[in-house]
Amino acid sequence: MTAREESFVALSVLLTGYDSVHLLGTGMAEQYLAILDSILPTGMVDDLLAAYQRLPQGPQREPAAAATILGDAKLGPVARNLIVLWYCGSWTQLPAAWRATYGAAPQDTTHAVSADAYQAGLQWLAAGAHPAGAKAQGYGAWALGPEGR
Amino acid sequence: MISSIKKTSLAEIKARLEQHPIEAVIVGTGISGAIIANELTKAGKNVLLLEAGPGTNLTLQGYNEFLSNFYGATSKDNQAPYPVNPNASMPRSTNLRKLQPGETDSATYMVQSGPYVTDTNYTRVYGGTTMHWEAKTPRMLPEDFKSQTLFGQGVDWPLGYDDLEEFYQVAEREIGVSADVEDQSYLGVTFPKDYVYPMKGLPLSYLDQQVAKRLDGTEVELYGQRYPLKIRPFPQGRNGIPNDKYDRGQGYVPVGAVSNHQIEIGERCQGNTNCVPICPVQARYHSGKTLAKAFQRATGSIHLLVQAVASRVVIDPVSGRVTALEVKVYKDPKSSEHETVTIAATIFVLASNAIETPRLMLASGLRSSSGLIGRNLMDHSYLLSWATMPEICGTMRGTSVTGGIIDLRGGAFRRHQAAFSVDIHNDGWGWAVGSPYSDLTTLVDQYNLFGPELRRGLINRISSQLLLAFMIEVMPSESNRVTVDPQYTDQLGNMRPVVSFTVPEYTMRGAAYAREFARTVFARVGAADQSRYDPGDYGYVAYNGQGYAIRGGNHLAGTHVMGNDRNRSVVDTNQRSWDHPNLYLVGGGSMPTIGTANVTLTLAALCYRSARSMLDQLQ
Repeated sequence: MTAREESFVALSVLLTGYDSVHLLGTGMAEQYLAILDSILPTGMVDDLLAAYQRLPQGPQREPAAAATILGDAKLGPVARNLIVLWYCGSWTQLPAAWRATYGAAPQDTTHAVSADAYQAGLQWLAAGAHPAGAKAQGYGAWALGPEGR
Repeated sequence: MISSIKKTSLAEIKARLEQHPIEAVIVGTGISGAIIANELTKAGKNVLLLEAGPGTNLTLQGYNEFLSNFYGATSKDNQAPYPVNPNASMPRSTNLRKLQPGETDSATYMVQSGPYVTDTNYTRVYGGTTMHWEAKTPRMLPEDFKSQTLFGQGVDWPLGYDDLEEFYQVAEREIGVSADVEDQSYLGVTFPKDYVYPMKGLPLSYLDQQVAKRLDGTEVELYGQRYPLKIRPFPQGRNGIPNDKYDRGQGYVPVGAVSNHQIEIGERCQGNTNCVPICPVQARYHSGKTLAKAFQRATGSIHLLVQAVASRVVIDPVSGRVTALEVKVYKDPKSSEHETVTIAATIFVLASNAIETPRLMLASGLRSSSGLIGRNLMDHSYLLSWATMPEICGTMRGTSVTGGIIDLRGGAFRRHQAAFSVDIHNDGWGWAVGSPYSDLTTLVDQYNLFGPELRRGLINRISSQLLLAFMIEVMPSESNRVTVDPQYTDQLGNMRPVVSFTVPEYTMRGAAYAREFARTVFARVGAADQSRYDPGDYGYVAYNGQGYAIRGGNHLAGTHVMGNDRNRSVVDTNQRSWDHPNLYLVGGGSMPTIGTANVTLTLAALCYRSARSMLDQLQ
């Protein structure tokens, strides 16, 4: 893994709440970085990664991320899209105002990335479930008590 | 299961037509066509099956391509797995919009002539709508067959529960129903002594159990009568644990995935929570399983012609007999290029569902002497109510639905308002608002959550979702109908169906009570009601000062109604046309009423009954 990819995964850990073992285990990291590179204007992914690198360690880390990444006019919508990408395996078209200001790539359309991306979606895992139609828990597992009680 | 299912080329069919006369031509490979094909081939009859779709899913690989389409689709609606095919189009919920009074929307395959816009749909691929059905298989109640006599509503059937009971058993065997008799014996439904279903009932989900804990044993009062409530499992057409007491102790062997080579999947439901729109492992029944048996047994006497759209029923004007079927056989879904072939047979069976069958008859100029072809269109009306449970309940696990409330399927209140059956959806608010995707975007975009807080937020929000889907009965009304209009045609030049529908007041009274009932359930289980109905919703219906988003049920029926009087019905009790003695119109369209039973089991039972009549006619 390149330093840039490592930095992307570390940013994704912060945004998704899943550790790097989980994220790398989906097999989607490289592809998601490539999607950002192909859709966002040149240099913006590196701006996002640089903003991540500047975050302080310790208790101020999350508030700083909220302020300088998620609360940033340029980086916020991108970071939120990245969360949705990891959780659902689909890309959401960036807001119209953002597109007007920073430029709209032709690939910036709402779309499911791939069959694999759907199955790798973290939303199901977070809910203590499994992707609808894949990774089933087995006959009768639905009758047992769930995670998170 | 190994089988020798294969397509036969048009050239081969033409060559065979000259040497071996076809005894029965069957239009459609859904459950009706499959059952009849299987029964006729068992008796050695020579059968030709016509399928409008390309039949790519005859093999496991093709079936799995549908699954892959589903995974990769942006919208996960009922048709997500099935490729767009302009030569055999399908209705699709994602393309609908609300109509202004008097407006018609012809932008979708099934023209919506209003006033109500229905998102009901069916699938035109090999296997028909059993490719996307949920596979709930309740029997109709004995009282459902006599609703005019008992309640002054709808019409009585020309058959009763006792006439159909033996055929229900055969249909339950073929579909492979998982259920326990003790759970399904209610409101007059009876079974022969010692009967057991082929497989044991699927267990209730944890979510069902949490609702049951607080609801079971409570009552509601309706028109002076009290109805006790209980969460019960539904009978399901998917593989569970075989019951060794089945068939007087002979047991039952489930049919798993079918293909043209040996595969060992689908022996038992895994809980993919994805019965609709496609079961990933074929644990859920689809009619390809029945056809696989027919092809395996009767190689040489059953043939399948795909990409073959029945376009006209040709009649001898003197005798009324059908002389031939005109069929447009296309080369590629993308192109209108096709060859029209004329196929003669001894009997003709139209089994292409309660919209497409009347569509074909009307497009052929055959209105039936009763004038009832296409009329009395029925479908269950669904009302959804959703809420947040007081604790995490493990939502999003199981089959789509395992349990629900059936106590208001029957009772004296049916004089006044429609009955309903209630499903507890294991897939949460998905049907109503698009969960879990909508939950994620709400938490990320509106609540500004990320990291561990987002994870916690998601499990709290998703795993506590409760959605009650009320499947409300709809009685026949002649003005609810399918017609055709030469100005609306598809790529092959076939006229498309035009649907006019008003949700009857009787149904809306049931819907209004359903909403009240949902509030009662939520109060008793301590759930927070989250339901809302948008006046801009295409299915929005105002009634008595309130508004409800009414959804279609894909339980199409009534459009070639059966009866004992040829002036008041289209087919007889064998589903044979009164006007055309060698023509059978089979499927939900023959059902005079639908009560609160998902229609497939009953229409399958009717097809077994009709197959006997067809064999008599072919002697």
